[in-house]
Amino acid sequence: MLDHILSILIFFPALAAVLGFIVHKDSMRAYGIVVSGVEFALSLWLWYAFDGSISGMQFMEQANLIPAFGISYLLGIDGISLFIIIMASFFTMLGIISLTETRRIKDLIITLLFLQMTMVGVFAALDAILFYVFWELSLVPMLLIIGIWGGPLRIYASVKFFLYTFAGSLVMLVGMLFMAYFYFQATGQWSFSLLEWYRLILPENIQYWLFAAFFMGFAIKVPMFPFHTWLPYAHGQAPTIGSVILAAVLLKMGTYAFIRFSLPLFPDASVFFMYPVAVLAIIMIIYTAMVAYAQKDIKQVVAYSSVSHMGVIILGTFALNVEGISGSVFLMIAHGIVSGALFLLVGVIYDRRHTKLMSEFGGLAQIMPKYATIFGIMMMASVGLPLTINFVGEFLSLLGFYKQSHMMTLLAGTAIIVGAIYMLAAYKKAFFGNVTKEENKTLKDINKTELMGLIPLTIIAIWLGVYPKPVLEPINNSVESVVQLMHDKAISAEAKEIIPSIAKFETTEAK
Amino acid sequence: MLEAVNVSLASLNVPTLVPMTIAVIGALSILTIDLVKEGLNKSLYVMIALLFLLLDLGAVMDAAGVFASNGTQLGFFDVMLIDGLAILAQLVIVIASMMFIPLALTSKRFHEFSYPEFFALFLFMIAGFQFMVATDNLILVFVGLETASLALYPMIALHNRNKSFEAAVKYFTMGALAAGLFSFGSMVFYALTGSVEIHQIAAALAADNYANIGYVLVATAFLFASFAFKLSLVPFHTWTPDVYEGSSAALAGYMSIVPKIAGFVVAMRLFEFLVNSGVVWLEVILYAMVVVTMTAANIWAIVQNDVKRMLAYSSVSHAGFVMAAVLIGTTQANTGLFLYWALFSFANLGAFTMLWVSRQKQLLPGQSSDHPFEKFSGMFKTSPIQATLMALFMLSLAGIPPFALFWGKIYLIGAAVSGGFTVLALIMALNSAIAGYYYLKLIVFMFMKEPEGEKNYLVNASTSLKTIVGMAAFATIFSFIVVSPLIEFIGGFVYNSGY
Repeated sequence: MLDHILSILIFFPALAAVLGFIVHKDSMRAYGIVVSGVEFALSLWLWYAFDGSISGMQFMEQANLIPAFGISYLLGIDGISLFIIIMASFFTMLGIISLTETRRIKDLIITLLFLQMTMVGVFAALDAILFYVFWELSLVPMLLIIGIWGGPLRIYASVKFFLYTFAGSLVMLVGMLFMAYFYFQATGQWSFSLLEWYRLILPENIQYWLFAAFFMGFAIKVPMFPFHTWLPYAHGQAPTIGSVILAAVLLKMGTYAFIRFSLPLFPDASVFFMYPVAVLAIIMIIYTAMVAYAQKDIKQVVAYSSVSHMGVIILGTFALNVEGISGSVFLMIAHGIVSGALFLLVGVIYDRRHTKLMSEFGGLAQIMPKYATIFGIMMMASVGLPLTINFVGEFLSLLGFYKQSHMMTLLAGTAIIVGAIYMLAAYKKAFFGNVTKEENKTLKDINKTELMGLIPLTIIAIWLGVYPKPVLEPINNSVESVVQLMHDKAISAEAKEIIPSIAKFETTEAK
Repeated sequence: MLEAVNVSLASLNVPTLVPMTIAVIGALSILTIDLVKEGLNKSLYVMIALLFLLLDLGAVMDAAGVFASNGTQLGFFDVMLIDGLAILAQLVIVIASMMFIPLALTSKRFHEFSYPEFFALFLFMIAGFQFMVATDNLILVFVGLETASLALYPMIALHNRNKSFEAAVKYFTMGALAAGLFSFGSMVFYALTGSVEIHQIAAALAADNYANIGYVLVATAFLFASFAFKLSLVPFHTWTPDVYEGSSAALAGYMSIVPKIAGFVVAMRLFEFLVNSGVVWLEVILYAMVVVTMTAANIWAIVQNDVKRMLAYSSVSHAGFVMAAVLIGTTQANTGLFLYWALFSFANLGAFTMLWVSRQKQLLPGQSSDHPFEKFSGMFKTSPIQATLMALFMLSLAGIPPFALFWGKIYLIGAAVSGGFTVLALIMALNSAIAGYYYLKLIVFMFMKEPEGEKNYLVNASTSLKTIVGMAAFATIFSFIVVSPLIEFIGGFVYNSGY
């Protein structure tokens, strides 16, 4: 069974979704919890069976899909994808447990299970077309989640989300076809296998163009400035579960793809574009942090802060060294946990008051002390307080980029201060002071079901903040092999110098 | 004194004619049955048509076997040409026709299907298309084209509505114009080269090194315009949405698939040598036309209020997309053309059948056309399975993986990439993004809006219609299994025909 664990992880939720059509709607939530629970258990088993000391791909599966065109069903994971897969199944489970939606619950859970299939598929696929299939397919359930269960502007938001990402990924598809064509020119065979593409060394000018094509797809998904405009709408209109999955998992597809595709395939182009991308990332960090400060809606504060943190992930990725990339992968997990939790928390008060405007609240800490505590912890984690999960990721990401540019890192670091300002300001507005609104006085504190979703997240946020090793080590091993691959493939002397050789790194340490 | 003409039967190579003859015999037997006994049920005629098409398919398969072992066959004074393109196109034509004819078995009674002539015309039309693709003789192309078109005009008009008459007349007028252009273009080529056979024209032109390039350009322009009409390439597309709207959804779906593949094959034969002749402007014109057709049709599709008109414009855009294969002209591109069209057939068949299933006899109050978007609002709530199927066909047409058309799309864009058409590849990809919008629009209406009033989306459904939708859906979802064998099968035929 372990031989096909990845296929099982991908298709089990899809199969369960199909069978879900038969389940009665009253039992649907229980069904969803059981299915996503089994899926989560399977993903934990994957972690258990995963050998953290190996840097290469594990649990590989291969079958010919369209051999005439070099497309195969190729799956495999390394330390980078492992934890994102676990996170995807974890958040689907938490999302279903803390689901408060009552409208068309059956449809919603079926859609979520389909979404889960596509998410696991993206992170497990090692064939570019297979990756693309899941990548595009994930748009459909998300479109429905925002479009059916969202707020008043849901149709606009869902269509905008779909079209933006669809357009970007089509450019990426052309890039993939070019990549396969260059592989065909070099070897006489069509192939979309990433592992085979890794062996291909492309001339620098070609790398630039392909990097740009892939960048379009990934940057819109992340979303990087200036392609981020779909995100506030999507978050603003999406139901709680939609925002949680979007922030925790879907956005990670973009940053993950940078590490899986852009860096190892185009090392010289990555070096060439390092500063431009970093500039965009820094604009993204600072600008969205400032925008977050100006928001009146608490969900939008979380949404913009989420974009801001994604900027740090990009910065870490484009540090092009082990610290930066490991930090950024760790931050992906951290960001997933923290922003996912924050969206769940916003959902809690939205369910009670049907508003997310901070001006409608005030003094919540007196009425809902448990809620305020958890919100406080998660907010501290989001700000990147030491001993919380975000700190580890942000520190490593910034440390990585510090080796490339002190000034730019300093600029990016200021965002952490701005982040603290807007988060504390938002917290102050909503939680401190006097209870001014009559209807807030009777609000019930967080209940058991909600706690079931939030407590594990809080524990993880602190546990991995204090002791990140079990996650960081497998990530580090895989990242080292990525960086080494980049170093080996780089053509220009500049790239060779900027991307460190791990072997060299180790030998100097040994001395 | 003239010598006696002596033709041996063997030299005629009669088997090349067998498939078309079967269709003609089928049509004649339907007419004969009607002469003998009137008022028989339409299901009889559907089944007779289906049986003859099955025989026709068998004959085409037989021809495929002969081609695979003996190569290209010529017949009937070398007028017939059975090569890989002819066989592939006939396969698409016959199989698509077999899928569409059972759409006559609706639960509502529609005017046209009560006439046996409809089914006879249908088979005559298929024979016409088969002649058209199985020759490189411009006269036979013309005869085939007109046979098919003249059968199609009354079939549209038989739908017996004001809009149908308008559509038929419009199609007829445009068709007549295209026929005029075609015959003029052929005439100039004949005057130049003394032949009406495409390969001889090519050889004669190459022999004198394109000395009369001016005349070649004139002839090409006329032929090109005539095919652009038939393939509804922009700016010769204006009839398309009106004719589709006036026809029944079943016939509109049919028109978006079968006549076009016949047109593509002739275009491929014709432009293969013209593009390779080194006449640069021709490539430029074709390039521009492909890009404009894809893009403009997409933009028009966005603003349509009726689903059928939207699908009409979308099929114009798809035609432009596939015409790119003729422009690229490599074996991979030509293979991609057939692959794309085969996959497109299923998705489009599904979409148009879904429209046909939901077609009332009379327009509902407040409804100005048969299938406005509003008609589908909230469909998911009242008929979830139907809405899901329709969404599936829309996603497939939009090229969302892993559904059918996606594989055609990447194969064709891949052909553009390896053919050196980088910008074209990008334009093709971006057009898919634009198209995403209007396909999505229907999904938005079905899934995200509230139903208004009484809705019955299955008003016209019968078992045979449901079966067709089921088959189309199955093919759309699981096409990835057959894509590889299809590529190899098509590729072999295309390559062995020298394209």
